[in-house]
This record gives sequence, structure tokens and C-alpha cells, in this order.
Amino acid sequence: MSMRKITKWLLTLLAFTVTARAQDVKIPPDVEKLSAKAKETVEVTMDGPMLRWASKFLSADDPDEKKAAKLVADLKGIYVRSYEFDKEGEYSAAEVEALRSQVRGPGWSKVVGVRSVREGDVDVFFKLQDDKMAGIVIISAEPKELTIVNIVGPLDLDQLADLGGEFGIPKLDRKTLPKPQLKAQGEQK
Amino acid sequence: MTVSNDRPMQAEPTESALRNALRRREAPEGFADRVWARVAEPDSRKPIGTRRESWLRIFAVPLARWAAAAAVCVALVVGGIYYRNVQRERAQGEAAKQQLILALRIAGSKLQVAKSKIHQINANRVATDQSESHEEKE
Repeated sequence: MSMRKITKWLLTLLAFTVTARAQDVKIPPDVEKLSAKAKETVEVTMDGPMLRWASKFLSADDPDEKKAAKLVADLKGIYVRSYEFDKEGEYSAAEVEALRSQVRGPGWSKVVGVRSVREGDVDVFFKLQDDKMAGIVIISAEPKELTIVNIVGPLDLDQLADLGGEFGIPKLDRKTLPKPQLKAQGEQK
Repeated sequence: MTVSNDRPMQAEPTESALRNALRRREAPEGFADRVWARVAEPDSRKPIGTRRESWLRIFAVPLARWAAAAAVCVALVVGGIYYRNVQRERAQGEAAKQQLILALRIAGSKLQVAKSKIHQINANRVATDQSESHEEKE
């Protein structure tokens, strides 16, 4: 193998490692395939440079967009997959479990885990680094909808609370959000 | 050496020279006619229009005309491509912005769902605790 080929392979491997580290939580291929069955699919993949670039187009005159620009300034990536189905049972529990298992490792804290047969399950995981939030993963598995949100980067509770209330989203009451250290979990069956 | 009065010694010859120089003389024969004739003559200097024509005369050469036309065409094409790239980049940026807003909207709404479910659980727990304590009192 020539030196040029080796260098090319090494660079590809390095790029893959960097991307994998940035995203941290990988969407399993089975979940990605759900878009074929879904009635509506939302797939947003924005890494750091893309976020910086997109935030340049947020208007400084619009207060909401100005806040959003500030919010994403330190983020390393936003990854969203949302699938809405016509009928129930289009995705398996194993696919959701494959996602959950990735955020059960060290550094991750499950702060919200709601189980509801009728309305579906919602799990919120925080990634902590030096007692600071370094990311958030939301897995919402409703009977006809599966949503995975992965936000990578330093995101304190103030910024998290600011996620709500923007662009017509109802304001999220920060006081009602459980603190990461408490690991509060609400279970309902 | 003695100086007489307040005038210098050579004042008298200078004054006479001046008087001689400033003496009224009649104009030479036909002077007025010659002046009027010069006034009536066209200006010998080149007019402005003629001077401008001098550098435009370069376009009299066919090659220069073709070169100028080609330069204008190149400028138009380059300008058009640049403008289209700017427009495309702006459209892509706007699309990326919409994606970002959509991602934030979904994240916010799912957090809102989690929050409302926690509220619901807390409300149910409080209601259960209150009914239990009420039963115990009875």
C-alpha cells in the first residue's frame, strides 16, 4: 500500500473519530430506516461549523433569533430525528432500548424517565463534565411518534430553559426542571 | 564726498529715462486692423472634444474593439456567477436557519412534554398523599 493511500485512510479514520466524538450518541441504523415507514420525518444534523454558519443567518433585530444565536454559540452539535407514523407499533422497543443503552454509560445522568402506556415514554439524559452540563439527549417514544434529540455542547440550565418559549414554544419553567445532580425520576405505568 | 540736497547723484538721468520711456507714442500704422483680424481668426488651440477623441481613437483598431467587447462579456459572466453564488449561499443559509429553528422547536416541545408529565405525576402523588392522610385521620 502506498504512503498516499495510508495517509488517506488515516485521515478518513481521524475524521470519522472526530465526528463520532462530536455526536457522542449515534443513531442506530435501524432507527434511521424508520423514515421509510414514517408519515412525516424530520432529520436535522448540524455539527459545530454548520451551527455557526446557520446562526449567522439568525437576525440580530429579532429578539428570539438573537437569543437562539446566543444559545447555540457554544454548542458542538444538534441532532434531531423525529418520525410520525400512521399507526402504532411501527418501531420496536429494542430500537429505543438501543438508544437508551448508549446514554447509560459513565458521564450520563437520567434526569427524567416517564413511562406511560397511553401517552408513551419520555427520557431525558444529561451529560455532565466537571459538574457542568455537556449535552442533553431526549428520547420520546409515543405510540405513533418516535423523537430523538441530541444536543452536544456546554448547556447550562438557564440555556436549557431558554430552549422553551422561543419561536412560539411555551416557556419552560426552570423551577420545575429537575436538577441533574438530584437524578429525579418520575415513573408512571 | 558731498551729497547735494536729499536726491541721489544719478536721479536726474533716471527720471529723464523714465520720462522718455513713458512718452506718448502713436500706434504703428494698421495696428488696430491687425488686432481685429487676429480676433476674427479661429482658435489655434485644440478644442476639448478633439482631445477626447484622441484616446477613443484606439477603438478604431478592430482588435481593440473585440478585446473591449470580450472584456465586457467576461465581466458580465463573472458578475453573474458571483451574484448567483451569493444568492445560493443566502438560500442555503436561510434553509440551515430554518432547520436550526425546527430542531430547537422540537427539543423545546419534547422538554415541555416531559415537564407536563412530571407535573401530572406530582399532582397525582399529592392527591394520593392527601387522601391517604385524610383516611388516616378519620
